[in-house]
Amino acid sequence: MKHQSCFRGAVLAMGLTSLGGMAMAEKITIAIGHQSMCTDTYTAGIVVKELGLLEKYLPTDGKYADAEYDVSWADYSSGGPITNQMLANKLNFGVMGDYPLIVNGAKFQETESLRTLYVAGTGYNLKGSGNAIVVPVGSDIYSIDQLKGKSVSTPVGSAAWGMLLKAMQDNSIPSAEYALKNQSPAVGAANIAAGKIDAHSDFCPWSEIMEFRGTGRKIYDGSETNVPYLHGVVVRQDFAEMYPEVVEAFIKAVWAAGEWIREDPMKAVSLMEGWTGVEKEVLYLYFSKGGHLTLDPTIKTEWVDALKFNHGVLVKEKAIPPLDFDAWITEDYVKAAYADLGLDYAADKAMMVDPAEANAGMPLEIWHARDGISSYPDMPAFLTAMAEMTGTGAKLNATYVYDVETGLKLFGKTAFWVKAGEDYATFLRKGEAETFATAHDGALITFDDAISDFVTEG
Amino acid sequence: MTGALHILIGVARAQWRRLMLWGFAFMVLSQVAMLAALILRFQALPNYQTFYNWPGNVARIIRSTPALSDMPGIIAEEWLVEIGRMNYDYGTGISEWSLNVIPSRLVVMFVLGILVGLCAALMRVERCSLPVRGSARAVTGLGAGLIAMTNATMSWVVCCATPSWVVGLAMMGLGVSSSLALETLGPWLNFGGFGLLLALALCLAWRSSRRATILAEPAHA
Repeated sequence: MKHQSCFRGAVLAMGLTSLGGMAMAEKITIAIGHQSMCTDTYTAGIVVKELGLLEKYLPTDGKYADAEYDVSWADYSSGGPITNQMLANKLNFGVMGDYPLIVNGAKFQETESLRTLYVAGTGYNLKGSGNAIVVPVGSDIYSIDQLKGKSVSTPVGSAAWGMLLKAMQDNSIPSAEYALKNQSPAVGAANIAAGKIDAHSDFCPWSEIMEFRGTGRKIYDGSETNVPYLHGVVVRQDFAEMYPEVVEAFIKAVWAAGEWIREDPMKAVSLMEGWTGVEKEVLYLYFSKGGHLTLDPTIKTEWVDALKFNHGVLVKEKAIPPLDFDAWITEDYVKAAYADLGLDYAADKAMMVDPAEANAGMPLEIWHARDGISSYPDMPAFLTAMAEMTGTGAKLNATYVYDVETGLKLFGKTAFWVKAGEDYATFLRKGEAETFATAHDGALITFDDAISDFVTEG
Repeated sequence: MTGALHILIGVARAQWRRLMLWGFAFMVLSQVAMLAALILRFQALPNYQTFYNWPGNVARIIRSTPALSDMPGIIAEEWLVEIGRMNYDYGTGISEWSLNVIPSRLVVMFVLGILVGLCAALMRVERCSLPVRGSARAVTGLGAGLIAMTNATMSWVVCCATPSWVVGLAMMGLGVSSSLALETLGPWLNFGGFGLLLALALCLAWRSSRRATILAEPAHA
């Protein structure tokens, strides 16, 4: 009898304990809006999602000991709808490019009671690569000057639109001298393929997709505007104040995503191709060593300046509301995340990658369909390998070289090649290739010509 | 003016079923017209649709928005249905264009339909002369056009920054500078449209009331 009552007591106690636990357990919903067709958002979007990195860093102690997390991801084609969903509190986090980020901050600050915080970056290109102007591959347009009197399309309101406006201003082409058309990336790319438009300006990775598919050719790279191109993470302030450790966990996941990519870029882009549908060869141009994108969650002073510049463009052209940058941008969360990870935030913040300097002497690469990526220290070694591989009929996914002028990584097949004596050089733009050829007593040749120089008989 | 209001209320009471029909017709036809315009413009049929839990989303907004004044603007942008064209040539698919059925805009279209119906009913009551009827129709068309235009809910990926009513105009081929210049005028054009319709209805009712007064006055010998 005594045993029976003890047993009953134990069962009752267990029941009460579990009931108490259930009452204590808090369900924390974390909803993130990302863009799988925008490469620069991947380290806070698709990579974190697919590798479950956020779950790895979510807090499980202290006030979170009994927390249940419900993490959901929503994929968008552009940043605008993410802001609307955040206003409606259907998303807590948003990952987007610089222009939509500014609109996000400004639209929230326009309200009486709601705010977002810009808490971390995802990646950047110091000079602005990622945005570009592309023409149909068979076009006789080779420089931005030739766009006078032509039709140029762009997604108005995007970073590519801002870049186009600045590029035209920098080159003294007033808006009256070209016809600007508002066009979505997919339709713009289709029009370039069909030769229905003279030029199209777009954001990452559309220009490279067009180049890789052989439909378009870059005539202007965003790096020429010298305005950094960056992406970042915004979070609703009410969520951040309620769950600061969750925001820190998200930033840790962003950092971990970057580390994962850096560890093995080829494997990373191959997986990302499966997750996003964007060709791995195009993604490699962004995520490999020497690629367009520097993965870095820190918030640099230069980024704030760039965002202020972009806000000025938006105010002038689209009359968007004012934005108090001091209230919107905070380093508190990213600093706390770095401290928790035992990383030196100040050192990472101070580090700035300029492709023109960082990519000097970078090895050239060939992506063999079966054997993967091989690197070559110089042009002769690279071209010899190309000659051998093409001689055996090997299937090559892509080849990568560097623009002499900007240090930008290029597809070998889309670069302009110059042969001067026994030396070879590669360029993004034809004009600079011609200037180099003249200065070095060389000549413009095709990629195939360069390879054929290294074909050995027998 | 009191007479005019009496006429207005009288017509509305007598023909409320017909006016409701006008409202529903405008609500439905505006969505059909926008979808047809998109199909014609892009020469492609829609290939996806998404239904949203509008009541649930509105409840969430009310729960999570501290200031009452912020709620209407956010709720007004909540979608009920999204119908569009997904392009699968790139990535896992990118929405090339879409029509968003937004309840707040449906309400606007419903009110617009009622106003147009009211003007039409007053024109019949007033038995206007041909030139007056022509002018009244022109004003009705202008007012309705302004309201319909500023409540367009067509969208595409180009609205990276600020999706707004001018996106619809841009999609239909309006130049970038013109659409950007018009963007800030949206509320004024919308109010202008409603103002025109209300003024026309009042004017027609006033004419009717004045005619009734003249007819009612005893003839002097």
